[in-house]
Amino acid sequence: MITIKHEGCIFCVGCSSVCPKNAIEAVGTRMEHYPEKCIDCGLCVKVCPANVITLHKGKKEAVA
Amino acid sequence: MNPDFDHDVIVIGGGPAGSSFARIAAGAGLDVLVVDKRKEIGVPVRCGEGLGSREVLAQGIDLPKNCISTEIHGAKVVAPNGKSILWKDDLTNGWVLERKFFDKWLCELAVDKGAKVQSYTRATELITENGKPTGVKLSHGGREPYVVRAPLIVSAEGMESFMARAAGFKTVHSLYDVDTCYQYEMKPYDHENLIEIYFGANIAPRGYAWIFPKSGKKANVGIGVGGNLANAKKNGNIDGADPKQLLDKFIASNEKLKDSSTLMDFGGVISVGAPIDEFVKDNFMVIGTAAKQVDPIHGGGIALAMGSGILAANTFIEAHKKKDFSKKSLFPYEKAWREKEGKSVASRLLLRKVLEKVNDDDLNHIFNNMTYNDLNETMAGRFAGPIAKVVAGRPQLLKVLSALIS
Repeated sequence: MITIKHEGCIFCVGCSSVCPKNAIEAVGTRMEHYPEKCIDCGLCVKVCPANVITLHKGKKEAVA
Repeated sequence: MNPDFDHDVIVIGGGPAGSSFARIAAGAGLDVLVVDKRKEIGVPVRCGEGLGSREVLAQGIDLPKNCISTEIHGAKVVAPNGKSILWKDDLTNGWVLERKFFDKWLCELAVDKGAKVQSYTRATELITENGKPTGVKLSHGGREPYVVRAPLIVSAEGMESFMARAAGFKTVHSLYDVDTCYQYEMKPYDHENLIEIYFGANIAPRGYAWIFPKSGKKANVGIGVGGNLANAKKNGNIDGADPKQLLDKFIASNEKLKDSSTLMDFGGVISVGAPIDEFVKDNFMVIGTAAKQVDPIHGGGIALAMGSGILAANTFIEAHKKKDFSKKSLFPYEKAWREKEGKSVASRLLLRKVLEKVNDDDLNHIFNNMTYNDLNETMAGRFAGPIAKVVAGRPQLLKVLSALIS
């Protein structure tokens, strides 16, 4: 499960450009995350230039 | 027009590629709809805003004053040890733009020619019949999606490219083929109308820092780092690149910048890989950055996007005359693009891949042995002369650099 801290996001769509599952997308004026598509690969966390995405390891079931 | 269709073509994305396509297609009298999901065309800015003047002049369009922040007369490239070489040729003449005005102006040119542009409108779904695209679902400002149909869909979606993905194009970026960038607009910065590029593993691992001059003693100061490089522990405690941290460090160590103000935070992830392996399928074209048509050295894509839009529109006009939007009928665009740009993009991708294998000490050696002319030769893709000079004093570099002359 990832979470996005929207304050700090520069809305660059870098996360969605590397997401292999279309699980994150610029919608309106912020990035929208679709947890049902997300596979917790963490690529968006690695690429985020603003460092505002967090991967919560092993908590997918607990959060869902 | 076929009564089943609402438009002759639907263009997804109103950046330089989409607007250029729309200008040419609408200028030929065709019914063009451009949708852009951003609330305002041109905002937010996600790039360094540099643009070579040669390409734009070649297209016969005049940039209005408000789109140009300042003129550029060359680039100063700085080695890890601080030695710099000036790179100055017809490729380095250009502008640093005010990108938000520039994008909107290009889009307005399309409107002037008769294109219909709709902002804050997101394509939510690709509509297909018998496996072929025939339209898209659009949502304006988050409202109920509705279907719009056209015999051709053009993805000018930039880095995100969701519709291109839905149509089966491999547009997802790998971490190895992107640089992740953070940037500030800063003031004051006394510049000499030169772009400044700083190399060094300590500054920016597999990447570089840049200073792009702007009017009013301002500058875009940014850094790009290889997306695959783990140099920081990020949120969730996983390895990743942290360009903002590196940028702050770069600025703190720069005498001319360390006390300057920041007027804007921006940035993005830029593609530095190869173009996608196909640009067209039946009833679908991908143009500009969505097709990864970028310069792999610096990720610059504005000029390539504008050129791509024009080539694609010319093909579309012919396809429309024949009422044939098959892959075969749309292919002349892809062929023309690869003939015009393919070779130079491939050569610069090779240069990028070779440069990233070279360590700081080797880079210093290369800079110490290169002149202004050698740098110009290198950037023009003529590697043999400069390589001969560099390897003369350090033969072991031949192993790495020989890839450039094979």
